[in-house]
Amino acid sequence: MSITGPLVMVVEDEPQMRRFLRASLASRGFRLVEAATANEVTALVTSHSPEVILLDLGLPDGDGIEIARGIREWSRVPIIVISARGREADKVEALDAGADDYLTKPFGVNELLARIRVALRRARDANPSTTPILQLGPLHIDFARREVKVDQCDVHLTPIEYRLLALLAQNAGRVMTQGQILQQVWGRGHDEQAHYVRVYMAQLRRKIEKDSARPRFLVTEPGVGYRLRDRLD
Amino acid sequence: MVSGDQRQGSNWAGAAGARRLWGGYAATVALVGVATAAGVIGRRQLALPDFVMLYLLTIMIAATVFGRGPALVASTLSVLAYDFFFIPPFFTFVVDDQRHLLTFAMMFVVGLLISSLTQRVRRHEHEATAAILRARTEEMRSALLSAVSHDLRTPLAAITGAATALRESGSDASPQDQAELLGTICEEAERLERLVRNLLDMTRLESGSMVVRREWVPLEEIVGSALARLEEQLRGRPIRLDLPSDLPLVSVDAILLEQVFVNLLENAAKYTPTGSALDLTARIADGALAVAITDNGPGIPPGSETRVFEKFYRAQHTGAPGAGLGLAICLGIAQAHGGTLLAENRAGGGAVFRMVLPLVGAPPSTPSEVDGAAESRPRERAS
Repeated sequence: MSITGPLVMVVEDEPQMRRFLRASLASRGFRLVEAATANEVTALVTSHSPEVILLDLGLPDGDGIEIARGIREWSRVPIIVISARGREADKVEALDAGADDYLTKPFGVNELLARIRVALRRARDANPSTTPILQLGPLHIDFARREVKVDQCDVHLTPIEYRLLALLAQNAGRVMTQGQILQQVWGRGHDEQAHYVRVYMAQLRRKIEKDSARPRFLVTEPGVGYRLRDRLD
Repeated sequence: MVSGDQRQGSNWAGAAGARRLWGGYAATVALVGVATAAGVIGRRQLALPDFVMLYLLTIMIAATVFGRGPALVASTLSVLAYDFFFIPPFFTFVVDDQRHLLTFAMMFVVGLLISSLTQRVRRHEHEATAAILRARTEEMRSALLSAVSHDLRTPLAAITGAATALRESGSDASPQDQAELLGTICEEAERLERLVRNLLDMTRLESGSMVVRREWVPLEEIVGSALARLEEQLRGRPIRLDLPSDLPLVSVDAILLEQVFVNLLENAAKYTPTGSALDLTARIADGALAVAITDNGPGIPPGSETRVFEKFYRAQHTGAPGAGLGLAICLGIAQAHGGTLLAENRAGGGAVFRMVLPLVGAPPSTPSEVDGAAESRPRERAS
């Protein structure tokens, strides 16, 4: 048990959820600071400077999306929002408001730890785009040479396909919303062309996945967006 | 609950009755008019008792079809019209022969009797219908309650049992036993989650609050995320996909359609032997997307091809867990897309579920890049 493990702030009104998070995070060396209401959040973030915030979107006294937006105005601390299934629109809104990732209730501890791991790594690696190479199982991306290989074989991508893959790779392990992808790959003013993302994602999968209907690298997050895995299980 | 329903029932009857009431009175007046006209036209062939019978018939019809109020109106109007048109002196309410007054009185009394009798019959009928309706609602509610409580309790019992066993035995339990108990807790919790999700979906479908948010999506992506969600349940089972590479984008609610695939595949996995193959094919035909999921299991009990889509229906004697909601939800989602979902047995054994969704509009275009002109890197630098 390390007493200097990363400090995680849990913003959650349900005591049983806090209990579960406390038990599973403390046993893995994380330190915890807990908030049960939206009111306490700002003060606690200021006084404790957590390294990750787990934020429940269903707080009774405040709009989780507004809290995320508020924190993002003055802090770059990673925010992982927690919400129920069927609230995809909320998740997208929170992500577009500056949250880094999300967890759907109910979730397992593996998923929780994976999200925290990715968030911490991104926060520490201040400029992730300088990472020169991404290796994910048989997938190899060399950003400096704009080279993509699968099983040592070159894969030829169109400029848009490459930009799409590079964007997801620079955010490996983290979900990117349709809107974020559209804006960063196609630029502003394409809000009405959400299908571009899906069409190019399908093309990209045909080029780099062994079976495009069972993707191993490029995961669909239904109703939210896409995620490039950061490790293969 | 029951008294609330009764109140609701009478409210309903009252509201519907009020709407019909004025129409009933108007029709009654018209009816008396028709009887009078018929009498006037046939006055040469008819005797006085015939007119009386004609009016009694009118009162009877008014009572049977429109109820007590219109029947009273019919009685009054009949007496007046009989007097006015058929009793001398004609076209006045003056009566020469005092005996006719007795006829009027009897006509009116018979009218009253008929109307109160028919009213009583109608009330009995109405009560019987309401009772049947109530019994059916009650039956459905108790079926729901018993299905849901059984399905909620079974996983809960397993979770409670496994968790207390772990707590009691502590470190005494062998690692295998511990793993077994922990596995039970996780699996049963997931089952509870699925059940709650199905109940919520069903409620949303039935209350009409399920909104179809259509977007242009490749079918492959939807199938892919459904397969990813079912990774555990479909492990070790060959899934043969036949999705033509030139399938156009389809305008559907991706989340709802994914749920259809999840439920259909889950259902197939539940009722077919472990390890047996499943086939998923998709085609575009006649302006519709046709999807078929075929299994190699025992098939659907003959005659139950439609019933499998009913709420709480479960194949008998299989002992497979579930509340019998999955397929009902699939049908609801297919219909919400303007489509159909059918189940049938294959000639060679096994069941096939066929979903047909009409294609809505033309897929939007996606500007294509000039292929090969601008690849991710120059070819000559390949190592």
